[in-house]
Amino acid sequence: MRRISPVPVAAVGLIGLVALVVPWLGLPDPVTIDVSNRLSPPSWQHWLGQDEVGRDILSRLLWGARSSLTVAILSALIGCAIGTTLGVLGGFLGGVVDLLTIRAADIILCFPPLLLALLVVTLLGPGAATLIPVLGLVFIPGFVRVAYAGVLSVRHQEYVEAQRALGVGPARIMLRTVLPNIGGPVLVQFSLAMAAAVVLESGLSFLGLGVVPPSPSWGLMIGAARQTMAQTVLPLIWPCIALTMTVLAMNALCDAVRAAVDPHGMPPRERRWKLPALLPGLPLGAASSLSVNGLSVAIDTTAGEIRPVRRVSWQVAPSETLAIVGESGSGKSLSGLAVLGLLPPVARAAEGEVHFDGRELLRLDEPALRRLRGGDVAMIFQDPMSSLNPVHRIGRQITEAIRVHRKLSHGAAWREAVALLARVGIPDADRRARSFPHELSGGMRQRAMVAMAIANRPKLLIADEPTTALDVTIQAQVLDLLAELKAENGMGLVFITHSLPVVAEIADRVVVMYAGEVVEQGPVGEIFPRPLHPYTAALLQSAPPEDGSLPKAIPGTVPLPQHFPAGCAFAPRCAMARPECDAAPLPLEQAGPGRQTRCIRWRTLASEPTMQRAEA
Amino acid sequence: MSALVEAVSLSKRFGPRGIFSFGQKPVRALTEVSLSVARGEAVGLVGESGSGKSTMGRVLLGLMPASGGSVRLDGIDITTLAGKEARALRRRMQLVFQDPYSSLDPRRRVSAQIADGLLAHRLATRAELPDRVAALLDQVGLPPSHATRYPHEFSGGQRQRIGIARALAVQPDFLVADEPVSALDVSVQAQVLTLLADLRARLGLAMLFISHDLPVVRSLCDRVVVLYLGRVMEEGPVAAVFGEPRHPYTRALLSAAPNIDPVRRQKRILLKGDPPSPADPPSGCVFRTRCAWAIAACAEAVPPLAGAGHRVACIRAGEIDDRNGPP
Repeated sequence: MRRISPVPVAAVGLIGLVALVVPWLGLPDPVTIDVSNRLSPPSWQHWLGQDEVGRDILSRLLWGARSSLTVAILSALIGCAIGTTLGVLGGFLGGVVDLLTIRAADIILCFPPLLLALLVVTLLGPGAATLIPVLGLVFIPGFVRVAYAGVLSVRHQEYVEAQRALGVGPARIMLRTVLPNIGGPVLVQFSLAMAAAVVLESGLSFLGLGVVPPSPSWGLMIGAARQTMAQTVLPLIWPCIALTMTVLAMNALCDAVRAAVDPHGMPPRERRWKLPALLPGLPLGAASSLSVNGLSVAIDTTAGEIRPVRRVSWQVAPSETLAIVGESGSGKSLSGLAVLGLLPPVARAAEGEVHFDGRELLRLDEPALRRLRGGDVAMIFQDPMSSLNPVHRIGRQITEAIRVHRKLSHGAAWREAVALLARVGIPDADRRARSFPHELSGGMRQRAMVAMAIANRPKLLIADEPTTALDVTIQAQVLDLLAELKAENGMGLVFITHSLPVVAEIADRVVVMYAGEVVEQGPVGEIFPRPLHPYTAALLQSAPPEDGSLPKAIPGTVPLPQHFPAGCAFAPRCAMARPECDAAPLPLEQAGPGRQTRCIRWRTLASEPTMQRAEA
Repeated sequence: MSALVEAVSLSKRFGPRGIFSFGQKPVRALTEVSLSVARGEAVGLVGESGSGKSTMGRVLLGLMPASGGSVRLDGIDITTLAGKEARALRRRMQLVFQDPYSSLDPRRRVSAQIADGLLAHRLATRAELPDRVAALLDQVGLPPSHATRYPHEFSGGQRQRIGIARALAVQPDFLVADEPVSALDVSVQAQVLTLLADLRARLGLAMLFISHDLPVVRSLCDRVVVLYLGRVMEEGPVAAVFGEPRHPYTRALLSAAPNIDPVRRQKRILLKGDPPSPADPPSGCVFRTRCAWAIAACAEAVPPLAGAGHRVACIRAGEIDDRNGPP
């Protein structure tokens, strides 16, 4: 649990403390009448002045806080305890219990809360003792609903299922696992209930149905001051300020508590810096379709800046497939996103250049980037469901993608969309174009994404794990499709993946990334049989071999960006590491035509057959 | 070898439920699936998404009620048991989840989560807990000092080890591992596979290893069962099924897996289209709509699982080999 922000804690603490110690503050009696000094302005004896019968306003305000807060806390506690219990029971046990608890709460919810309170108070007579249970009752349905909704989302979590599999009883699961995980929303509801109780108590007292005069209460004070409003407004303003400040402080406190108990935390503030302009005279646009030079991506965290991508360079030529391969945390996806200016708000390109068709993309403004994206450069992602708009038909989404970049009539664009769907192998494309994304299977959705990506005949397609979520038989279909499209249109393809076998299937050249750096690059046909970096070699060996024996594991884990080693990032896990590997960052060495490796011992690796993967 | 866990003609249908789903067909997740796992044996259950493999694991463990058929543990039918008896038997069968993130409670310390099972079955007193938790962490290769940490302090591979320690806490005889390495990085996958193989050898655990990744199954399991659309297509020893697959679906599945070796990549059998909806499976053989060998007779009756040891549910299994391609 993180630290709670101190400001709201102090504010609510102060209000609570004042209400607690009022009797010992030596204030004038809040009910002593002094008619001769009625409505007198603030003075040294009476700091906030006197009310319509000459009672001390400050004293009545503080004593009023006592009754307001007592009613608020107790009624919110009652509502919270009963409501949460019912909601958890109903949500977790389901069936008849669900019906009894949730429907009962729904019935209470049908009554307007103020009307319900009015009714009960009229029947039982006014006073704080009646007010507390009545407000408690009013708050129950809110807590039931919040707890119920929370439980419904938590009960199917795998950690709850794991407890059931262990044979843990339902009572224990509800108490130890479900309750803490719905704590956040319940706390927020508690803050709302307390704030509402303060307001409701004042409102009912104002109507003469709450705290009985002459006992002090904010509602009574507002009610009384309203009648003398024409003579002086001060007695009206003080209780209103007290009421507002209390409600605001309570809401702020509960927000702070919720933020503190949430283990996921909030993202830091968004910051964007544009890179400095390029120096004049730098060469723009080489023979390659896309060239990335020395790209670094930085993320500002509370513990300082981290660089999950460090000085990455690669090129892809027209009709070439470049695979960027790496494990999670290697920075492969971030480098792909950075190229198109699609980095998440917390991350930014910190240095480097990206050249595409004579333009430098990292320094391009957003409108120009937007014209490029989906036009000359397209991107497809791992999860088509989150990239497709769920409320629009597939055909319409492709039609729009076409019309953003080209002046076509709607009819012509639609016909082209259908043709594209047919091209990517969706049967009955005319009918499928009218389907919504959820009506398609995972493989079909990914095909639709590919259709959208190639709609404007891009020169370059960046595909980030496009087949990872697919079954192997469907993956084979999509890989074949991408290879065909590439051959047809002469487009360059950047294929980001964690799977070496997929790389072997589709790529011409491969860039192996580890801990934000390129550790090896070269033609697939040379790297796979003859890796020149120990990480590539170990990765190849960690795939289960054909003969059914167990794969060779790489010890340890990928380091986090804040713990990247000073020297070779792979050295702590490397069987070939020497002390000099840890000393300083290693350069990317040229190791034959078109091949680079970031290992000082690559010559040893090349000459030692035992380090190589055995040829099948 | 006598069966430790035996599923006899197990079926599972989902829905339709509620008044608004009138006229909808139930989804047939599993249809008459039989399998048995002997003491200390590892059986692989492979298939694509929608094949019912995860449902099979859940039904076996009693986390979902079966719609038909029975599950036997040491010959005792556990499908009809309820309450305390079911809980006691459940202790002997445990589950390792796919997602190392959602399967651990983010708000509780690792030690408390591992201790849950020990306390629920009174396998340890509170005083013994710290030692037992430390021993379990040690067993999965984590330092005992990690017990007081929260799940978010661990990497995916370490979380998966914690999940395994939690399952081992109640001293099970049988472990259902549902895609335990598919969410992990390639370099960490091999670590967890080695751990599972090692635990199996040391503790004599029987295992049902559910996976879509065929090479992984091959490296860990003795036998393999291939599911498609809730039905068993082929089953047998891994060497036989992987070496000489006899069902057209198994052959396609094996050839579709991408391969680093360029020679093996040549003979790909590309399946057309998507698997049909499990709410409306084809008549006869469920695979016939995507099968290159399908003939009229395939639509008529469900092919029986025939053979001894290496069994295949295909009426043309005898005619299919590498020399003659599909007609």
